[in-house]
Amino acid sequence: MSIALDQVTKRYQAVPVVNDVSLKVEPGEFLVLLGPSGSGKSTLLRAIAGLTEIDHGRVALHGHDVTHVPARAREVGFVFQHYALFRHMTIGDNIEFALRVRRVKAAERRARRKELLRLVALEGLDDRLPAQLSGGQQQRIAVARALAHRPQVLLMDEPFGALDAKIREELRRTIRAIQRDLGMTTILVTHDQEEAFALADRIGVMHQGRLLECGRPDDLYTRPHTRFVSTFLGAANLLLGYRTPGGVRFTSRVASGEAVPREVVAVLRPEEVELSAAEDRVRSNFVGYGVVEEILFAGAVERLRVRMAGDGPVPVAPGREGTPDAGSLLEVSRTLPEQREFPVAARQRVAVGARRVHVLPTPISSFTAVADTAEAAQALHDSPLLSTLGTRMQTRVTTRLGRGERPPPGMPAVATGRGSAAAAEWQLQHGAAQLLCVPPTAPLPGHVLIHTLDRAARRATVAVAASLLRHVAAEAVYLGIHPTASAERERDEYMRDLLDARSAALTEHGLDMRTELRFGDFAEELGRELAVHGNSMLILGSSDPASIDWAWLGALLEGEPERPVLIVNAAPVDDGPER
Amino acid sequence: MAAAWFRKPSILPGFGLTLGFTTFFLSAVVLLPLAALVLRTSTLTWSRFLAIVLDPRAVASYRLSFGAAMLAALINAVFGFIVAWSLVRYDFPGRRLVDALIDLPFALPTAVSGIALATVFAPTGWLGLKLAVAGVQVAYTWLGVVVALILIGLPFVVRSVQPALIEVQRDLEEAAETLGAGPFHVFRRIILPGVFPALLTGFTLALARGIGEYGSVVFISGNLPLKTEITPLLIVIKLEQFDYDGAATLGFIMLVMSFLMLFAINLVQAWGRRGQVAAGR
Repeated sequence: MSIALDQVTKRYQAVPVVNDVSLKVEPGEFLVLLGPSGSGKSTLLRAIAGLTEIDHGRVALHGHDVTHVPARAREVGFVFQHYALFRHMTIGDNIEFALRVRRVKAAERRARRKELLRLVALEGLDDRLPAQLSGGQQQRIAVARALAHRPQVLLMDEPFGALDAKIREELRRTIRAIQRDLGMTTILVTHDQEEAFALADRIGVMHQGRLLECGRPDDLYTRPHTRFVSTFLGAANLLLGYRTPGGVRFTSRVASGEAVPREVVAVLRPEEVELSAAEDRVRSNFVGYGVVEEILFAGAVERLRVRMAGDGPVPVAPGREGTPDAGSLLEVSRTLPEQREFPVAARQRVAVGARRVHVLPTPISSFTAVADTAEAAQALHDSPLLSTLGTRMQTRVTTRLGRGERPPPGMPAVATGRGSAAAAEWQLQHGAAQLLCVPPTAPLPGHVLIHTLDRAARRATVAVAASLLRHVAAEAVYLGIHPTASAERERDEYMRDLLDARSAALTEHGLDMRTELRFGDFAEELGRELAVHGNSMLILGSSDPASIDWAWLGALLEGEPERPVLIVNAAPVDDGPER
Repeated sequence: MAAAWFRKPSILPGFGLTLGFTTFFLSAVVLLPLAALVLRTSTLTWSRFLAIVLDPRAVASYRLSFGAAMLAALINAVFGFIVAWSLVRYDFPGRRLVDALIDLPFALPTAVSGIALATVFAPTGWLGLKLAVAGVQVAYTWLGVVVALILIGLPFVVRSVQPALIEVQRDLEEAAETLGAGPFHVFRRIILPGVFPALLTGFTLALARGIGEYGSVVFISGNLPLKTEITPLLIVIKLEQFDYDGAATLGFIMLVMSFLMLFAINLVQAWGRRGQVAAGR
């Protein structure tokens, strides 16, 4: 393993900018860390180079733990966004810097300098000063300089950020060729997805300090696990779908007597949308009728926006304009052959089909604030936690007056405080898969405690926790609590359970959480742990809501201090395969 | 149009006006009095001139004036750099206060600083008492002169180096670090070259100020002829004795020597900047 990161965390003023990132990079691999600005990708890269001290976790290079090794002894090559060439030194001296520091003999230095200048195709510029070179040339020199001491790892922080498009592309090709030739393990940080696709063997997508997903570019594009990755890599229509035995459906209308289908988040790529004249002409799965609202010609492809009929698919994120009745707006892109086959004009009515739909494995689809009065429902809808979650997860938050016949699809939310225990009990007993109990004024939690009441609930609980924690920069602790009077053999088993939970969270959801094992009364231990942190949240899993000790949970929900509690009901539901 | 070669059309108007003002100002304030000084000196015969210039008391005063100024400027270059460094690179409680204190020697009447120093360093003063135990006397020796000049010259170095240090990009240091350079190397090869021109400027200013300093020195030096007498003081003494020839001549010598020193430093600076100018900086 060339680079191994284990639970790396870096905080600035107590806010984690890199949050529990674990990652392994194979020798010779080109990994691109992709993310919007402020996602922590540069900080992570600097932590690998040793330019930033980390608060928690370990960094290993080639099997050696270098967590506490200073940057100068890590033997990495680092390329900065603004080149960072030494302006008072010639190009030759710049390249030889690492060798001079190591007291390499002059003849050897000169030979290496020549070799490197040839590598970046800038021979004969030895005696120039950096300011006499163009931006692209300067960055080539920076790459040559970073390679001079034959590091085994090359780290590049937005190396093309300051260059114009044409030079960027050329330099990109050069870098890729050099990296292949030398078999150099490389991590490059960028916010440009095109760049990531062009260079990467593997892409790691970062968001709010977390490494959300890491995988081959085509895998990430076709089978993303998270909302963020599905919309950050390429364009995507995120729709609320309903899983039925016949596949994913886009309308929630249920025939009487039919069970409520499970709500899911479906990704429909613009290029997977088929437009046709009528329903019977659609070759893929018919979605509904819509009206072409906008056509944009963009060279090779045509971009359209199609307004779907009011009873059509519901977007996960509520649109900025229009009421729900106006129908959702679908992004469509079509190639030239498709355009020739079925030309469309603005205002034209079209039948829409979906060639391929990818269902996100995320367990959280939408939120519904349930309350008895309109004011209470609105207050819950606007509560800091729920509204922030809605914005961050780009998901729909609706309100419902009164509990209705059965729980809403997606995740119901009720206010904590008086009467909340009864409301919560009703929701869970009538089949809600998850339930969020929200104090109307509580801020986002800084600390999330995860606990399951039985082992069967673990998988679902960890999945929900991971989905939530991707959008909340909080520290996660998975707490295992067992009776004090456990035998030694049982204790081993508990430990193994905990480790299993952790590795499942990591491998399946990319969630790196801490685990702690406690012995004692679970209510007492949970209470103590919750009291340690001011703004903590509890995620509680159970595979049998009927067995929950409601006296205890009721006291937790209705007592002081009020804190958010998310209850995961892992009771088996038959709704087909998970993915 | 024969003489118009230097009047290239420029985007900025007012070239004629500003050049005219510059010439007038320099003439009235700097050149004219200096010319008078030179003229006055030129009325002397060579033998009289040499007698004044080479008078042992005068020679001793040059040595003290220039030597102490040079030594103080060197010390200031080192410690001024350290002060500027800690002000730029570290954030500590009271940083702003220290930053403001740096300028105090600029504002204080020099006589006040001189008297204050003399009080502190006199054999009966707080510091003087302790130093006397160690067998060191500062006040009324050439050491006192150096101490006074350090106080006067420090702000020049700090204020010159500070902006240059802010300019040194952190990523250059980080680049050097990832290339394997230790702290010493980073300082010597990356930071110092970046701030050297500014440091030299600060040194020069401190030196120039030190050569001409009068007010603060006379109170702490003791003013013993041949020992702790600086040239400016000697000039004042000659004036008080109505020896205008002597005063003018010594002034002339100071003028020439200062000019030569500053000119030499300017040459060094221009030479050091050569690379960057060629690079279009």
